[in-house]
Amino acid sequence: MDFEWEQEYRDFRAEVRHFIEDWRTPELLEEYARTYGADGPLLRQFRDALAARGWMRMCWPESDGGQGRNLLYQFIFVEEMEYWGMPYGNLTYTSIAPSIQRFGSDDQKRRYLPGILRGDSVFALGYSEPNAGTDLASLRTRAVRVGDEWVINGQKIWTSLADVATHIWLAARTDPDVPKHQGISVFVVPTTSPGLTIRPLHAMYGGHTNETFYDDVRVPHADLIGGVNRGWPIIMHALNHERVGLAATGSLARLFDLLLGHLAERRRDRLDDPRVRQRLAELQLELLEQRALAIQNAWIISRGGTPIAEASMAKVAATELRTRIANTAMDLLGRYGALSRENGELAPAEGRMEWSYRIAPIFRFGGGTNEIMRDIIAAAGLGLPR
Amino acid sequence: MNLDLDPTQTLLRDTVREYLAAEVPFDRVRRCERQERWDEALWRDIVRQGWLGLPFPESLGGAGGGLVEAGLLVEELARRAAVVPIAEALAAALAAVQSAPAESARALVQGLLGGDALVVPAVLERSDVLGDVRSPVRDGRLSGEKLFVDYGQFASHHLVAAREHDAPGLYRVELAGARIRSAALRTIGRTPSARVRYEDVPAEHVGGADALAALLATARILSAVQCLGSAQQALDMTVAYAKVREQFGRPIGSFQAVQHHAANMASRVASTRFLVYEALHALDRGNASPRQIAFAKASASRMVPEVTMLAHQIHGGNGMIEENDLYFFTLRGKERSLAWGSAEECLAEAAACVEEPQQWLC
Repeated sequence: MDFEWEQEYRDFRAEVRHFIEDWRTPELLEEYARTYGADGPLLRQFRDALAARGWMRMCWPESDGGQGRNLLYQFIFVEEMEYWGMPYGNLTYTSIAPSIQRFGSDDQKRRYLPGILRGDSVFALGYSEPNAGTDLASLRTRAVRVGDEWVINGQKIWTSLADVATHIWLAARTDPDVPKHQGISVFVVPTTSPGLTIRPLHAMYGGHTNETFYDDVRVPHADLIGGVNRGWPIIMHALNHERVGLAATGSLARLFDLLLGHLAERRRDRLDDPRVRQRLAELQLELLEQRALAIQNAWIISRGGTPIAEASMAKVAATELRTRIANTAMDLLGRYGALSRENGELAPAEGRMEWSYRIAPIFRFGGGTNEIMRDIIAAAGLGLPR
Repeated sequence: MNLDLDPTQTLLRDTVREYLAAEVPFDRVRRCERQERWDEALWRDIVRQGWLGLPFPESLGGAGGGLVEAGLLVEELARRAAVVPIAEALAAALAAVQSAPAESARALVQGLLGGDALVVPAVLERSDVLGDVRSPVRDGRLSGEKLFVDYGQFASHHLVAAREHDAPGLYRVELAGARIRSAALRTIGRTPSARVRYEDVPAEHVGGADALAALLATARILSAVQCLGSAQQALDMTVAYAKVREQFGRPIGSFQAVQHHAANMASRVASTRFLVYEALHALDRGNASPRQIAFAKASASRMVPEVTMLAHQIHGGNGMIEENDLYFFTLRGKERSLAWGSAEECLAEAAACVEEPQQWLC
C-alpha cells in the first residue's frame, strides 16, 4: 500500500498548472461563461493548445493516437482544470470520444475523432425523453431502416448544447418487439439535419437546455455506432465515463477556497468566530472524504478494473457535497450570499456561491440519479438482492 | 501509488482474520465483559505469534513492517471485538522507539515482544484535555491522578504523561510495589479502563514533548482504525442479515429503502478507510501533519455512530439483544470514537488551522 503520488504525477500536475497560468485570462473565462464552453475564438485557441499537448487523448492507447497513460493522469488533469475553472472539454471529450474509440468502426473513428480532438465537433447527448428519464430504456424515439438510411421520428429532452453542437449522440428504438434494453441503437445525427427542431428550455441557473424534435430525420447507416440493437451497453459505458467526470473534486475545492478567501479578506469578523471555523473544518473534512472516493475510483480504473460501486459512491458524495458547500457558504455570507455576479464588487466571490446553489441540483440527478447510484452500490457493491 | 494491499499485507490480514475466527468466538468476548477482565490468553497467543513485532525495526527484534501492517492487525482485532490492549501497547512502544534513548527503547520493545511487560499509556487527567498535563515529577518520582487509563489495571507498567521543571514528557512507571491506587471505570465500550492515583512513585524518563506528541498521534490514528474495524464489521453483519431476513415474502435487502441505508453505510466506511490508511502510511513516512491525523480521526469518529446506528435500524429488535453480536461494535465503536480525540476535539484542532493551505491538490 502506498498513498504517495510518484514524482512523475507531481511533475505532470505542475506542468498542467503552468499551462493553466499561461492561458487563464479574464477574456477567456468571460467567453467560456458566455457560451457555456461551446465555441468562440479564444476557446478555440485554447483547445488547439490543449490538442497540441495531446492531453485530451493521453489515456488512449498509442495505437489510437494516444499516449497510453493511466487514468491517474486524467484524474490530475481534470482536477486542475476544474479547480481553475478552465474549459477543458465537456461530455464530448469525457464521454463520447471514449465511446467512439471503444465501439466505433475504424471508419467512424477516422471521421469523428480528429474533429472532436480539434474541438471542431461538439456532441449533445440525445438520451432522455419526456417519458423516459431514469427509466431510460423505455425510450420511444423510433429509427426505421429504409434502404441504406435510417429514418428517425420522436422527441428528446434535456438535449443540452444541442443549439451549439455539431452532432447529437442519439439513442433510438430500432426494434420495438424485443425486451426494451435489446432494441436500442446509437446514432450520430448532425444538428444541420433536415427535420430536426431545437427548442430552448431556460433553467434557473441562467443557462438553458433544449428539447429536440425529430421529424423524418434521415441518417446514413454508416452513422450507426456499434451495431443494430447494440446501443444499451454503449450508453452505459458513456454514462460510467460521465460519472467519473461528475465526481471531480477540483471545482468543489475551488468553491471552498473562494469562500475561505472571501471570509479572510472581507469578513474577518466571521472567520474569527469559532463556530464558523468549525463549519469550515467540517467542509474540509467532507472534501477529503469525497476526494478519497474519487481517487479510489480512478485508481481502480488505472489498474484495469471497472469500478461500478466505487464510481457511484464518488458521484453521490461529490454531488451532495456540492449542495452542502453552496448552502453553507451562503449561510456564512449572510445576505451578501444571495447576491448574483451582476452586482459586481458587492457579490462575494463573483457570485459563485449563489450560482452554485442554483445549479447544484442538476448534478444530483444528472448522469444517473443518486437514488439509482445507491441501488448500484447496494447491488453491485454489496450483493443485495433485486 | 498503490491503493491495494500488497500480497504480504493481504496474507497478514487473512492470517489474523482466520486465526481470530477460529480461536476467538464472540462468547469469549462476552465472558471478558461479564468478568470485567481482559483476554489474557489471547494476548499471550498474539505475543507468541510474533504479531506485535510488525511495526518495529528488525534491529529491535521486530518484523520491520510499518504502521499499515500494525493497522491491519488492530483492525482485525477490532472486528472481532477482542479485549486486548493492542492499540495501547503498540502506541506506547512506538512512542518510546521514536524518542527514548536506544537502550531504554530496546528494553521496552523487547519487554513487549517477549510478553514480559505490558506498558500502556496514562495521559488524561480530570480536565479531559489531551495536552493538559499537570502531574509533577520531582527527583525521579511521580505523583498525580490519571483517568481513562485503558487496560491500566492489567498492565505491568504505565507510560505516564507528566511534567518536570515545567516541561512535559513521558515517564515509565512500574506498578509492582509502587504506591498506586487504581479503580475500574465502567465505559460504554465495556473494555477495561482505570482511574489511577500515583503517590510519589519511581518514574523513569522516556522522552520529552516530542515523545508525548508521537504517542498522541499514534494512539489517535490507531483508535481511528478501531472505529473503522467496528464500522466495517457492523456493515458486513448488516449486509449478511439483509440478505437472509425476510419480510413481506422477500429479503429485506431487496427493498430500496434498506439498500440505500446500506449504500450510505458502505460509502462512509470507504471514505474513512482511505483517510485512515493514508494517515497511517504518512505517519510511517514521518510526513503526517497533526491536521491530517486529526481529519482521519474526525472522519472515523463521525462515521462510526452513523454506520452502527443504521446497522441497528436494519437489524431491528434482533440487533438490540446481547445474544446478537452487533452491540459489541455499536458500543465499542462509540467508545473508541471518543478516545484520543473525539470528532468535536479533532475538528476543533482542524478549525484552528483552517486557513493553512491544504496540500490535497499538490
